[in-house]
Amino acid sequence: MTLQAQVQSGSSAEPEQRFTDGRISARWFPVFMLLPAILFILVILLFPLVYSLYVSFTPYELLKPNSLKFELARALRNYQRLFADAIFWKSVGNTIVFLFLSINLSYVIALGLSQLLARVTRGQGLMRTLLMVPMMFAPILVGFQFRWFFNANVGLVNNLLFSLGLMQERGQIAWLVDEPLGMFSIIVASIWMNLPVLTIILLAGTLSLPVETFEAADVDGASSWQQFRFITFPLLAPFSYIALTILSLDISRAFDIVRIMTDGGPAHRTELIWTYVTRLAIENTKFGLGSAMSWVTVVLAVAFTLYFFRQLVRSRVVR
Amino acid sequence: MLHKARLLIFILVLMLGTGLAAQDMGEPQYAGLDMDLSGVNIRMANIGGGTYEVMYESISVFEEATGATVEIVALLDGFAIDQKLKVDFATGAADYDVAWDHTSFMAQYTDFLLPLNDFFSEEELAAFSPAIMDAATVDGNLYLIPRHADISPIHYRLDLYESEEIAAEYLAATGEELTVPTTLEQIDRQARFFVENGHSTFGYTLAGREEALTGRFYEMHFASGGSLFNENWEPTFNDDIGVAVAELLRGWYMDSIIPVDTTDLLWDGVAAYFCNGDTAIKLEWYGWYAYFQSPDNCAINHNFGLARGFTGLSVGGDAVRPSGWAGAHAFSIPATAPNPEAGAQLIKFLSSERVAYEEAQLGYLPVRNDVWTRIIDDAAMAENPLDRERLVLAQLQVSEDFKTPPLIAEWIPFSNIFYPHMQAILLGDVSAQDGLDQAAAETREMMADAGYYG
Repeated sequence: MTLQAQVQSGSSAEPEQRFTDGRISARWFPVFMLLPAILFILVILLFPLVYSLYVSFTPYELLKPNSLKFELARALRNYQRLFADAIFWKSVGNTIVFLFLSINLSYVIALGLSQLLARVTRGQGLMRTLLMVPMMFAPILVGFQFRWFFNANVGLVNNLLFSLGLMQERGQIAWLVDEPLGMFSIIVASIWMNLPVLTIILLAGTLSLPVETFEAADVDGASSWQQFRFITFPLLAPFSYIALTILSLDISRAFDIVRIMTDGGPAHRTELIWTYVTRLAIENTKFGLGSAMSWVTVVLAVAFTLYFFRQLVRSRVVR
Repeated sequence: MLHKARLLIFILVLMLGTGLAAQDMGEPQYAGLDMDLSGVNIRMANIGGGTYEVMYESISVFEEATGATVEIVALLDGFAIDQKLKVDFATGAADYDVAWDHTSFMAQYTDFLLPLNDFFSEEELAAFSPAIMDAATVDGNLYLIPRHADISPIHYRLDLYESEEIAAEYLAATGEELTVPTTLEQIDRQARFFVENGHSTFGYTLAGREEALTGRFYEMHFASGGSLFNENWEPTFNDDIGVAVAELLRGWYMDSIIPVDTTDLLWDGVAAYFCNGDTAIKLEWYGWYAYFQSPDNCAINHNFGLARGFTGLSVGGDAVRPSGWAGAHAFSIPATAPNPEAGAQLIKFLSSERVAYEEAQLGYLPVRNDVWTRIIDDAAMAENPLDRERLVLAQLQVSEDFKTPPLIAEWIPFSNIFYPHMQAILLGDVSAQDGLDQAAAETREMMADAGYYG
């Protein structure tokens, strides 16, 4: 039997083995090519995550290097403490309220702005540029700016209210102190910072919608509200979920704002998970406890992102 | 001939003597320039911003005289430099020879610092205020060389205390003369009087957040004879004295004696209320003096006086004493410093009489006795007599009332536990006793974790 005949008949195992080997190599070849990038990601991203998970099971304090050791009997102590810590739960509750109101109000306002902008026939470019201005500010500057706005003594808001005769004495309202004004103030600042990205995405989505649909709705006598309710809003759903997903991932930038405006105070009234982690891990140098809290934050962030992605996929299927 | 020779010798001796005297009484001298450091690169991580950096301009003199080069690897604000030092110490990355330090922060760094006793002679150390050097020493080891200090006198509005009409009104209302307050209870009575009778928007102002609030409570509690911890490091601030102080502050907040945003105020916010004349009395750091006296910045300029810190509440009985929460910015040498001896030379230069005097002229309180003498003499010629009175008073307070927070690494973690509870007490969320008890329980847990109770 010739070699060719053997291959064709498949009676010999040797050529088939070579063929199989070749197929395995072909399958793994892209992996080999991507290996540097994969290793890079593992080192840069995964290792710190796994390491911080490990640290969360230790009593590690930054200035006590010997405390970085795992003991099975004390492994869950950080998590036990957190779950028994009333301030932790308060910060979780505050964070949920902050995220819910900040993201949703940002979305509603951005949606309204995008619809108004879409109808602007002259100077739309200029208005879009002006809209982008808040994006040029670092969050820490936004924090300082709004801290001044809401300052009870020399702040813009109180002085404006006083000048308009809406306040009897200067500095009566402690915006950054009273409940729920403190939370309201940081949400306002956060919304101001969020608006540009959301509005631009929704505006782009609105401008890309098919004109024929609206013309047909006009012919059928649909009102502006009906057109928005039954055409614009549903068709914008993919854009909305992309915008909200980006925002939900980006919202932690608000940490700088909160840190400057209230730093979680007074008396933990505006304490968010981020400010509490900073106090525990950085200021108190309790990295173990801080890492445990950070993992709770990661779980929350993943849950939010999964939710929005699921909605995004669903909206595309519907469309 | 002999007569002429004697005369010449006399003149030479006179000239030499006059020259030495001129050196003693004239120009202040540099130090740390007596070592050849050619080719040595000294690295320094220090506090920066504003007037802090003026001192570093003199480093060129040090470089020229010693042949060393000085590389400033970090100039950060107080919060940021503290974070950098913690991370660098923890990771062994503190590869610099001179590091910023502060009496309030030192205790948490000591494991990562070199004791400085061997680098400085007793004569060199004797130049500094003993109270500050005591605060810089742990178990016989000196960990920092102070740069400048600060402490708080009472600031009060002159127009309120110089008005005969107000004085008569106060006498009628309280039965006592209106004099500059010396006790916390006097401050309470006067502050309430000024507000209730419309003489001042607020009677008192204090910082109400972070370490500033913890420190002010500590100061009032200490002045009233209390102590934050006992000898076994058990928290004791929830005793009768602590509750009395907390209730005093809460009463001030509830009755609008202090501003509605007190719990949001840090030093700049407190200063703003005094600057615009809204506050009758307050305890304030000397460092704000130039700002308050500036006609361009403050309505209160030339309308305030200074007095020694108050003594505390009478609930403390015979143990009451003057307030004196104080601190000093300083220099240390990390244990991992590549050139500790060269670093010590740079510290000698930066803390020398000449450099310290130049910095004191910016308004900082000196920590060297010789510089005190110089700036008090200089101020004798000042147009405003308060300029000199301020310095004399400051020297008295620094030498007699200087009191650091407990020198433990847990001071800042303790403060982070304490101040939110104190804020809750002020805001009326919790009673004074309950709030302090809760803070004490959390503090005890934190101290137990840190190994204080065996």
